Amino acid sequence: MDNAILNNTLLIILTYAVSLLYIISLGLYGADFFKGNAVAKTYKQPALIVTIVTHVAYIGFLTAPEGYRISYSSSMLMSMVALTLAVIYMFIEFSTKTDKTGFFILSFSAGAEILSSILLLTSSGNGPAFSGLGIGIHLLAAIFSFSAIAIAGLYSFLYLLLFRQIKNNKFGFLFENLPNLEVLEQLIKHAVAFGFLFLSITLSAGVIGSIQTSEVVNLFETRLIALVVIWLFYGASLFIKKLFGWDTIHMAYLLIGFFVLVTILIMLMGIFSPTFHSISF
Amino acid sequence: MNIISVGVNHKTAPIEIRERVSFSEVQAKEFLTNLIDDGIAQEAMVLSTCNRTELYVVPGMSEVDGRYLKEYLIAYREAQGEVRPEHFFNRFYCNTARHLFEVASAIDSLILGEGQILGQVKDGYRIAVEVQSAGILLTRLCHTAFSVAKKVKTKTKIMEGAVSVSYAAVELAQKIFSNLSMKKILLVGAGETGELAAKHMFQKNARNIVITNRTLAKAEALAEELGTNQVLPFESYKEHLHEFDIIITAVSTKDYVLTEPELQQSMQKRRLKPVIILDLGLPRNVDPEIGKLKNMFLKDIDALKHIIDKNLEMRRAELPKVQKIIDEELVGFGQWINTLKVRPTIVDLQSKFLEIKEKELERFRYKVNDEELKRMERLTDRILKKILHHPIKMLKAPVDTADTIPSRVNLVRNIFDLEEQNQRTK
Repeated sequence: MDNAILNNTLLIILTYAVSLLYIISLGLYGADFFKGNAVAKTYKQPALIVTIVTHVAYIGFLTAPEGYRISYSSSMLMSMVALTLAVIYMFIEFSTKTDKTGFFILSFSAGAEILSSILLLTSSGNGPAFSGLGIGIHLLAAIFSFSAIAIAGLYSFLYLLLFRQIKNNKFGFLFENLPNLEVLEQLIKHAVAFGFLFLSITLSAGVIGSIQTSEVVNLFETRLIALVVIWLFYGASLFIKKLFGWDTIHMAYLLIGFFVLVTILIMLMGIFSPTFHSISF
Repeated sequence: MNIISVGVNHKTAPIEIRERVSFSEVQAKEFLTNLIDDGIAQEAMVLSTCNRTELYVVPGMSEVDGRYLKEYLIAYREAQGEVRPEHFFNRFYCNTARHLFEVASAIDSLILGEGQILGQVKDGYRIAVEVQSAGILLTRLCHTAFSVAKKVKTKTKIMEGAVSVSYAAVELAQKIFSNLSMKKILLVGAGETGELAAKHMFQKNARNIVITNRTLAKAEALAEELGTNQVLPFESYKEHLHEFDIIITAVSTKDYVLTEPELQQSMQKRRLKPVIILDLGLPRNVDPEIGKLKNMFLKDIDALKHIIDKNLEMRRAELPKVQKIIDEELVGFGQWINTLKVRPTIVDLQSKFLEIKEKELERFRYKVNDEELKRMERLTDRILKKILHHPIKMLKAPVDTADTIPSRVNLVRNIFDLEEQNQRTK
């Protein structure tokens, strides 16, 4: 199949531009975090907003031929993961007024978008689009869920890192620049709440979508079991601290574990169930 | 016009020498008045702190130099025999300005970047103003020093980070808890160290500070001073340990005031919510085993010194930036000093042309009416302004070396024949 994108100059430019914008935003967040650069501090947030807006426009142009429905291709999904990571991070930055973790999140976003661009420009096309509103919401919510899970995992990792540094009297660069433990805990809570919300939407929309398409829902299907298990655990993790008196350290290990588990599950499903939502890895 | 600075500070003399020549505010005022009244100085300022006594003087007589001022100061403080001229530093002209800029920016301080020195320099200047010993030169010098210090504070990190144990304790607490106003703090020991730590916590919005001390009255006095009015009897404070997020201990004792079983029990009661214990006592007040408990951050003086060392290292790394700011300001200050040297020539030049104007207008005074005369006056003013603009601009223009100034001055004086005028001024 011919790659139609390669014949569209605007899309090619946007493909490069979006990746470049992520690199610029990442550079600005990095310059502020590592060097305390005043210019980077001033322009990093506007740069991220421009990146997100451009990315949304890019997705719009990319999906326009399919009636603005995203496709199941790995390049599209990677690009959506990059976008949702950036959107969730921006929301967290605005709501918590903490802008010292952007570099870490955006390095994931930039990596995902660059990979997506490479895949898009080297593959045979953008792949088939989803059909039906329910499955569309299911897919979008799943992408947002994965991003929230990734962010929760990353913040948990930063929490553990800072915790260990303070415990071991290592008052170096990270001690100086990372937000304090309580703020990191708040960021984790925000990410977990987001994750649970989107996982709930993913689950509900998936069931509704299956009913709409008259698909028989197999309750023992691995993808459904995996999703329900993750949803249950994630929901439980919202209350686990209060219910069982878990401290944030244990929660952090659990959330890192979730992130690793979900990533492995997605990869396994890609390998053993390549027909799953027609995703080709 | 020269400006001389002499003085003793922590770099040149030990404390017993520094305290022999230090001044109280009253003594400084009296000393400055004497310097001016005796004609030794046209302008003078004294900067006296616990780490330095420095004298900034614009000499009033040709024989007044660094040596003269050192001996005068030693004699004035009746410290002959104990304090010798070798204990003093001595600087002139631009080096004096550089020194004051470095002092005001706190890079000449015992603790690099300490925050009190600027206020002390301002006090020194205020005293000089009050006794009218600060003239045009010292005023400009001091105001430039204040501006340098402000730039250094805002554009560099020379004053950032804790460099005292008590402040490092607060910095550490802020790396664990985001809002100290929401945290309950227990201070065990109302001595000097504890008091300082409590005051730093208070400055960072901590309001829920409970104090316990062997002598209850001392705890009550500190609680009242902080405005918290919360004290616990020393005999029973351990029953409340689980209520506190931050515990600061600073008592003089050979035995531990907090033991591992006590804290283990308290942690269970507070469901493992993080606690930070800042042990500021020497010998240590808290059993080190407590540090192994879950979610317990126990930090003693050695641990806090790690933070101080790191912050001092960070401040030292800022020194090149500070020096750059000082260098830039020194250039500006030097150029301003140069304009002082050309000022008499500018005045002479303006006077000569005004004189010519007056003479020429006088010839027309009875030949034209008042209105026409005023118009002619305005016209000549405009012409003179335009004629003088370039020579004055040339005189005031920045120079590479101070040697350039006399040649410029002579050039203007010769062209406009200002010799007689100059002599008349003299």
